[in-house]
Amino acid sequence: MLLWLFQTLGQDVRAFNVFTYITLRAVMATLTALAISFIVGPAVIRKLAALKIGQSVRDDGPQTHLIKAGTPTMGGVLIIVSVAVTTLLWADLSNHYVWVALATLLGFGVIGWVDDWRKVVEKNSRGLPSRWKYFWQSVIGLGVAAYLAGSATLPAQTELIIPFLKHATAPLSVAGFIALTYFVIVGSSNAVNLTDGLDGLAILPTVMVASALAIFAYVAGNAVFSKYLGLPHIPGAGELAVFCAAMAGAGLAFLWFNAYPAEVFMGDVGALALGAALGIVAVIVRQEIILFIMCGVFVVETLSVIVQVASFKLTGKRVFRMAPIHHHYELQGWKENQVVVRFWIISMMLVLIGLASLKLR
Amino acid sequence: MSEFTINRITGRFGRDSLAGSSRQLCRYQNHPVRFWIISMMLVLIGLASLKLR
Repeated sequence: MLLWLFQTLGQDVRAFNVFTYITLRAVMATLTALAISFIVGPAVIRKLAALKIGQSVRDDGPQTHLIKAGTPTMGGVLIIVSVAVTTLLWADLSNHYVWVALATLLGFGVIGWVDDWRKVVEKNSRGLPSRWKYFWQSVIGLGVAAYLAGSATLPAQTELIIPFLKHATAPLSVAGFIALTYFVIVGSSNAVNLTDGLDGLAILPTVMVASALAIFAYVAGNAVFSKYLGLPHIPGAGELAVFCAAMAGAGLAFLWFNAYPAEVFMGDVGALALGAALGIVAVIVRQEIILFIMCGVFVVETLSVIVQVASFKLTGKRVFRMAPIHHHYELQGWKENQVVVRFWIISMMLVLIGLASLKLR
Repeated sequence: MSEFTINRITGRFGRDSLAGSSRQLCRYQNHPVRFWIISMMLVLIGLASLKLR
């Protein structure tokens, strides 16, 4: 919206043309999302508290978590609104990738909202039944995948890029592309949701991965840089840097309120939406494998649940003291803050490894 | 204190309000993270100067 305004103004005053650059709009998007969340955040938290939208805490979890009961949840609404408004302000709205990313964010946000609302407000402990949750996730995931497959005009838009190898790509069939896209979006969405169990644990890795994806999007969308770095050029993907920057800004501001001891939790509405948004951006910029590396913390958290459940069903024994794995470390004696900051550090290292793939191939 | 009283200091309610005092004690622990966030914002403003001139 603002891009159009500045382009119009730029015809008379050349200084406004500076806002046509994606890099500057990305920085402005981060600052705008930060400002929106900081300004609206306290009011949202007060409103959630007034509506008694408080988190319930599992009775079998670490005892230290019982104190968290009643902390306002569904704060993800703040993130979603902030990202959506900022993207609408700073991104090029004629770019279809921007709308695909926004639709995915909002679609998964609605699923999370319904689940949270049923659990917290309607006091229905099951929330949205799992089969319905996965059904709607699949509908959105497959819908987005089918749209991307149908709108692809270049082979580069559907090839799987093998990182750390020069010009190594694996062509995918339409069915293969849709299946991969579906698993990346739904997988990352649920992985972030599983990780969101300690104050600030999910949001900062999300911010870091979103920031890195902003760089990948900018490079993929720039013909010169993509050629120089040996990455496929995806025309229009650069605009997703603005979307990712908005996610990073909104996430950072959310961390302000979510840092230990949290004043608000993001809930499923935030976790499912942010995870899906990371997934869709990685799919568009063709960096699914790099997303898998950078989201290593989310992946390990998910695997810990799968291993725990499989082990218990097959052998009757637990591999971890508790799953997801962050609870295992808590029960081993790590303080909540230690688990969170150490997982952040691991995430930072993984994001750096992902970024190294830009040059190291 | 009733179960759904809102704790005026922490803004929380429900069972948490019963444990409000202990939460208050650890409330100041989020200061380091908030200083990190401020630092990150300042770095961003610094980076914006690369283009904004």
